Amino acid sequence: MVKEKDYAKPGVETDDTEIEAITSKEVEFRYDEHLVLSDVSFQIKRGEFVAITGPNGSGKTTLLKLILGILQPQKGEIRVMGYSTRERDKIMNLIGFMPQKEHISSNFPILVRDVVMLGLGARKGITKPTKRADEEEGIQAIKSVGLDEEIWTKKFAELSGGQQQRVLLARALAIKPEILLLDEPFNGVDIPSQNKILDLISDLRKKGVTVLFVVHNVNPLLHQIDKIMLLKGRIVAFGRPDEVLTDKNLISAYGASIPIIYCEEGYAHPVYSDIHG
Amino acid sequence: MPDMEVSEILTQPYMLRAIAGVVLIAINASIAGSFTIFRNVSFLVAGASHSALAGAALFILLGVYGFPANPLIGALLFAIATAIIAGYAPKEETNTAIGISFAMSMSLAILFISMIREYAAKVWSLLIGDLFLLTYEDLYLMTFVTFLSLMIALLFYKAFLFISFDSEGATAFGLNTKRYNYLLLSLIAVSAVMLLKGVGAILVFAMLVAPAAASNELASNLRDVFVYAFIIALVSGFVGIAISFHFKVSPGAIASLLATTVYFFSLLARRFRGD
Ligand SMILES: Nc1ncnc2c1ncn2[C@@H]1O[C@H](COP(=O)(O)OP(=O)(O)O)[C@@H](O)[C@H]1O
Ligand SMILES: [Mg+2]
Repeated sequence: MVKEKDYAKPGVETDDTEIEAITSKEVEFRYDEHLVLSDVSFQIKRGEFVAITGPNGSGKTTLLKLILGILQPQKGEIRVMGYSTRERDKIMNLIGFMPQKEHISSNFPILVRDVVMLGLGARKGITKPTKRADEEEGIQAIKSVGLDEEIWTKKFAELSGGQQQRVLLARALAIKPEILLLDEPFNGVDIPSQNKILDLISDLRKKGVTVLFVVHNVNPLLHQIDKIMLLKGRIVAFGRPDEVLTDKNLISAYGASIPIIYCEEGYAHPVYSDIHG
Repeated sequence: MPDMEVSEILTQPYMLRAIAGVVLIAINASIAGSFTIFRNVSFLVAGASHSALAGAALFILLGVYGFPANPLIGALLFAIATAIIAGYAPKEETNTAIGISFAMSMSLAILFISMIREYAAKVWSLLIGDLFLLTYEDLYLMTFVTFLSLMIALLFYKAFLFISFDSEGATAFGLNTKRYNYLLLSLIAVSAVMLLKGVGAILVFAMLVAPAAASNELASNLRDVFVYAFIIALVSGFVGIAISFHFKVSPGAIASLLATTVYFFSLLARRFRGD
């Protein structure tokens, strides 16, 4: 398997690697009086693959929303490709987002086509009629996530969990983002589909796409990620997996000791029991 | 009357108005009804149609005190207020907020009516409704508003669909989710008022929600949800008119019974198809 090092600086050497993909400086966020995130500072380089993990309610989704500019911090600042997240129209086209599936409601016969075209439509003007060429782009996106073109006219609700996640990924990719944010894409997804999604993401980052991946369980991606951010209302640890996955850090995030085992390749794997729900 | 020729019956002005009313109701049941199902806000339909009664009562009261105004305008204002409250409330609180504004409106309605007892019948007629009592003025207003909601739904179709499917994603993709949500909820509330005079507040829910709920079970794509909802509402309405004409019963009641029955059969149909 390819060593981590080779990924560290993906094929963007010629590019302006000076600009960080995402920087956060002393960010604090509250919902009304409820403090959710405080003192959040980090830098994510272009082309990095970062896993964000932490217990339920630790602020993972909130952090993604701050990066998207949907929420604004009360203190501090987040910059995306050099732009402040307050300039939403500047950063919007740079970021693809895949929401947590639990937040989606598909109790009506919305087709895969509709789902993918909504994303493209939002970018091209939501009140404009869909063009044939846009639809071609959508179909390309579906193929790019390894789904069959036939799925285009299937009901979203009738797909398997893994297929649904890949459709949502296709929707995010159809707009050709430079940064991809995924919120718990492995929920309700079987192992083979998880691997397909991971393969896709390795391809993307070879193209220089920055990927932030929110997960409960980091094990499936441990071998591929550059960094882990361990959250619990603040950044408990952020860095290379072996630096982050220590007994001390895990206790401070989860409030309980989590056994760590080392695989043949020398990676530290936390063995979550029921802690991560 | 039952001795008349069919062609003769069909040319009676009140009959023509009832038929026009049913067509307009079916358009509303298709557009607003389907989006009510997609957005999962059926309780708003019940809340808005009953809140509308208080608005109508208030405007009748104002009329009595020398400020004449069409009660339906009051009904529209109160229904839209309910939609705005529903949109403003946090997601988990939506139904409670609708319920409370429903309750508050009913208290107001009864208060207003108690102040103008001699006009109470006018308000209560909106509770029951009657397709055969639709006036030309009612129809003009219904046509205008229905046309307006059709245009809004066509223009913002994708936005409404996006926020119904995935409001978080819609925001992330740059839509002003809040604004579209207010617009969609208002459209639904206004449609509920359009059915008020024809079928009455009590049955608005049945005629606006049941056809779309049934077609949502049967349809294999989004367009068909709208088409089937229109057909179910239209046929229910026409059968309601025909039966009520012969047996002197409420046309709205028959139509609502049919539409709700279709819903239960659609559930069975889906069960038998095995999904
Ligand atoms: N819209 C909201 N209003 C108020 N509190 C919220 C809202 N969304 C999330 N929270 C709270 O913020 C905290 C962090 O939530 P979230 O970012 O969704 O956590 P995670 O994704 O890590 O599970 C939780 O305590 C949650 O209850
Ligand atoms: Mg979350």
